Amino acid sequence: MPIVEKSLVEVDRNDSVKLDGIDVSGDWSAFLRSRVVADLDPCILDWVKDQPLGSTITRCWQCGTCTASCCLHTDYGMAEFNPRYFLYLAKIGYATELRRYTNTIWRCLSCNKCVERCPKGVKVEEVVHAIGRYLRVTGAAPESPADRFDRAFTENLLDRGILDEVALFRTYERLEGRRTPLREMLRMGVRLFWSGRLRTGPFANRTRGWNRMREVLRARLAEDERRALSTASPVRAGAGGTR
Amino acid sequence: MIAARGVADPTPAYYPGCSLDGLGNPYEVSARQVLAHLGLKLERIVDYNCCGATEVKNLSHDVSLALPSRNLALARARDHHEVVAACSGCVYSLARANEAIADEPTRMRINALLEEGGAPTYDGGASVQHLLEFIYRRAGPERVRAAVRRPLTGLTVAPYYGCLYTRPRCYTGVGKLAGTDDPIHPHFLDELLVACGADVARDFRAKTICCGGGHALSDLDVSVAFSASILAEARRAGADLVATICPLGEINIENNLDRVRAAYGAEVVRPVAYFTQLMSLAFGASLREARLADNFSRPDRLLRSRGFT
Ligand code: SF4
Ligand code: SF4
Repeated sequence: MPIVEKSLVEVDRNDSVKLDGIDVSGDWSAFLRSRVVADLDPCILDWVKDQPLGSTITRCWQCGTCTASCCLHTDYGMAEFNPRYFLYLAKIGYATELRRYTNTIWRCLSCNKCVERCPKGVKVEEVVHAIGRYLRVTGAAPESPADRFDRAFTENLLDRGILDEVALFRTYERLEGRRTPLREMLRMGVRLFWSGRLRTGPFANRTRGWNRMREVLRARLAEDERRALSTASPVRAGAGGTR
Repeated sequence: MIAARGVADPTPAYYPGCSLDGLGNPYEVSARQVLAHLGLKLERIVDYNCCGATEVKNLSHDVSLALPSRNLALARARDHHEVVAACSGCVYSLARANEAIADEPTRMRINALLEEGGAPTYDGGASVQHLLEFIYRRAGPERVRAAVRRPLTGLTVAPYYGCLYTRPRCYTGVGKLAGTDDPIHPHFLDELLVACGADVARDFRAKTICCGGGHALSDLDVSVAFSASILAEARRAGADLVATICPLGEINIENNLDRVRAAYGAEVVRPVAYFTQLMSLAFGASLREARLADNFSRPDRLLRSRGFT
């Protein structure tokens, strides 16, 4: 049986098609107004790939599997959450465009679907967090709810070695200026108490012999934070602007 | 074939993690009942510390590795080669430390921290697995079936695996090592529930979607939407309740129930229970013994209406 080839693109020529004042008849690439992105900032890639979390960024070949798998992008439908694009922008150093996503990047849920599926072994979830951190330490992004939660979580667990979940809930609510109504807190508290789970405050679990470890880890935490700040140069105003 | 888990350990170490000693305590209690019924033994890691979950790594790489490494070192100090954790977040972060310290400079840095903090050092050799995998591999559906005294007949359960039980395989080894679950279409939980006499919602398509627990408090709209989609899918697939294997998933979904009810309607809501609670029930424990009234979604009410006591 012969295979009949069908034309995939219908020939549709018109002698005078003008779009935005540009004659585009017969020449599809004329649709693309030439554009020069000036002043890309190579520091972004340098910083991200030097971070332990960001080191796999250079393996990315932009296939988009991560974005297609991403639970936020695909399941939730947050179209602007596009990990492939974040990696792309960081790689080329397109700061102004990256900054449009400061209120998006932090929303990564750490579900790790992207890491599971990336054909190049990029630890996408970790790289996305490294890019988010770059924006924060350079002052391009304000501290996000996720940053505040990570910090509250870490400080809470370093305190006694074991997380005090109830205290974490309350600290975080305070940080966000939210407040669960007292009645509801009491209702929860009573249920936890009767089931022996109100292990908070003075009744919280703790790791024996944790004191020395606490100091050592706190010191390393502070040192890493300092290093992140001192190695990232502030995003240059207008870097990656178009002209 | 690819490598198996670490050296077979007659009594692996058990890493409880913060949640199992806190809000997720019904999981721990029922897990102990299940293990006793199946004649499986685990040795609890004494003076363990929090594993750091997914949060600490965003602030400090070294701290995020030192926390789990300390626990693995404690297990190795008691000569364990396998570590079992019931929380998927713990499995992720313990396994992640194993991968990271395979790199020598990293291992030396982490061990310097451990030493300075007065903990034993860790040079690898403690393989990490989820409690579900441990029960499946050591007892298996056959032995579970033989231990059942009160089959969960007439109960349709949606098996919810969530994210970090399998993902990512570069850390957990699931789908990479012999005898592990399938990371895309996991089935260990399905099989254990069937062995307990339950009907499994075969067409449940939310098995491995995210529950939004990573941002349970920091991105409420997103976490409510994910919790709701799991429950709505359980309803569509004809399930009476959802079985979980992760305290973060359980607590996140339960914590969102009022908001799910308000935004998506009461008919979407299903109770959520730890898989070990359901197994323990099938092995003859009462609703109270299996701590089913302690879950905020109250699976005990549904189960009582189905004749379980
Ligand atoms: S899946 Fe991996 S290689 Fe493909 S775009 Fe994402 S990070 Fe890059
Ligand atoms: S870990 Fe983050 S980026 Fe990756 S799939 Fe999940 S939400 Fe998307």
